[in-house]
Amino acid sequence: MGIILEVKNLTKKFGGLTAVNDFSFEIRRGDFVGLIGPNGAGKTTIFNLISGFEKPSSGSIRFDSTDITGLNPYKIVNLGVARTFQLVRSFKFLSLLDNITVSCLSKRGKQFSKKIGAEEYASSILASVGLIDKATIPPVVLPHGDLRKLQIGKAIGGNPELLLLDEPFSGLSFEEQVGITNLIKKLNDDGVTIFMTGHVLRELMTLVPRVIAMHQGKLIADGPPEMVANNKIVMEAYLGKGEGFA
Amino acid sequence: MFQKIQKKLIGLPAYLKDWILTFKGGITIFCLVLLFIVPLLTQNAFYLEIMVLAMIYSIFAASWDFLAGFTGQVSFGHAIFLGISGYGVSAMLVEYSFSPFVPWWGALIVGVLISVLIGFIVGIICLRLKGPYLALGTMTIGVMMMNLFKIAEFKSFLWGDEGISAVPAISSDSTVVYITVLFLMIISMITMIQITKSNTGTIFKSIRDDETGAEASGINTTKYKVIAFMISSLFAGLAGGLLAMYNRSVNPLIFQPLFSFLVLVMAAMGGIATISGSALGAFIYILLSEVLRSLEEIGTTNPVLIALSDPSFVFSILLILIIRFASEGILKAALERLKNFWDVILGR
Repeated sequence: MGIILEVKNLTKKFGGLTAVNDFSFEIRRGDFVGLIGPNGAGKTTIFNLISGFEKPSSGSIRFDSTDITGLNPYKIVNLGVARTFQLVRSFKFLSLLDNITVSCLSKRGKQFSKKIGAEEYASSILASVGLIDKATIPPVVLPHGDLRKLQIGKAIGGNPELLLLDEPFSGLSFEEQVGITNLIKKLNDDGVTIFMTGHVLRELMTLVPRVIAMHQGKLIADGPPEMVANNKIVMEAYLGKGEGFA
Repeated sequence: MFQKIQKKLIGLPAYLKDWILTFKGGITIFCLVLLFIVPLLTQNAFYLEIMVLAMIYSIFAASWDFLAGFTGQVSFGHAIFLGISGYGVSAMLVEYSFSPFVPWWGALIVGVLISVLIGFIVGIICLRLKGPYLALGTMTIGVMMMNLFKIAEFKSFLWGDEGISAVPAISSDSTVVYITVLFLMIISMITMIQITKSNTGTIFKSIRDDETGAEASGINTTKYKVIAFMISSLFAGLAGGLLAMYNRSVNPLIFQPLFSFLVLVMAAMGGIATISGSALGAFIYILLSEVLRSLEEIGTTNPVLIALSDPSFVFSILLILIIRFASEGILKAALERLKNFWDVILGR
């Protein structure tokens, strides 16, 4: 199981603000890794840099030994990296099925969907996220939990090897979270490498075997949840000095 | 790919039968039959020519709707393609030593090819522009084209203020022209509608609804936006070539923003993202303009009638009414009413 994602000295500055500061880490194929940090720590910026929606100020990103630093987002998707967004987005005037069909029509998606056709392939993905009975409905009428499922469906349409999930539990009820958790676990069992950010710390820490913590753009801890949770710097980042982490 | 086309062709008769029986299919066939009957009802060149103009504008408006309603690229300069193809066709038919031997359809093909090339260039230029900036960018190019063709110093190769005149028509027989343009309009509409229903159409719509999301789904949005521009300019160029042969001339004023805005109004009246709505909007515009013109010729002192004979006034009011009461365009509103009526008749 080789290294699927290698990030070296990644830095991103927006004018005077350094959003990501000399960030380095590796993820191995098949891993299930969490990315935590207080609001504004830079988690989404890291995802934007990896997925190509932002270009780094310096540093490098390698996916499966291919240099993807600064590539256009669609090219990175077609290499096998997919992501979801913190604020749910969808193709509002297309049906749920068409929302997923789009991913199956990408260059990479077509390789996998060619045999049975894009729509058939999209149907099976829609079924795997539990939304097949709403296939003809546009996203506007869906509850938030279903929209999060749709996002994941759209992301796996191109059969990615690495899946970046940005706050997949945000805004979900407990039952909805369980549904998404099972979905993500199944994807990981099937071999998809998962890298996800989270705010609902207690759930995240029980879910992932490894956590990377960041604060003000810098990496402050990287290891098993228990170790990271008891790390003094992490505690200070979240709670300020002099508090314990429950 | 050929197997797919073969399969589609074999399934065509059954597909058509099912389609005609649907509400939309029935209405479309009804309108087409009406259009085919017109030349049987009148030999009057004047009426036939008005209908031809409406059909030419239908193609033009549909090409704009294809780009704006289905791919989300709102162009305020669509007259660019109208004009460039018009000049291309006119030049082929009038200006060169081989002109007498060029058939009208040969010139039309050349005009369309030039238009597609310009569509490619405009698409590339305007790539990074979004929303209001794209609109301004396309409008600017349109005005630039108009002024470029007006330049007296370029008269030797761009024909200057006077443009090209004595452009031959498709035929001296108005009925032949009518049938030809009707045929071309039907093919254009069918082609554009089929593209919007295809997988490529789905990709275009995804770019319209969420361009960033489309990128995140692995779509090369740049490539598809340029392709959309080229398809749109193909049909706009077709309309432009036909218009030159209808007007028997072309001059720099064909590039003016008025025509670009006109096509927008037609498509918006009929219904954006419908393609067939553009035809409805074009027919309403042209026919209503003619009615208003005859009102003006009556010569009345009644202030209400004088106001009503001014097209700008009437269409402004009409547009406001449509925005207020039928915001999705006349086509959808009319179809809904008709459908309810249809259901009532059938006792549902």
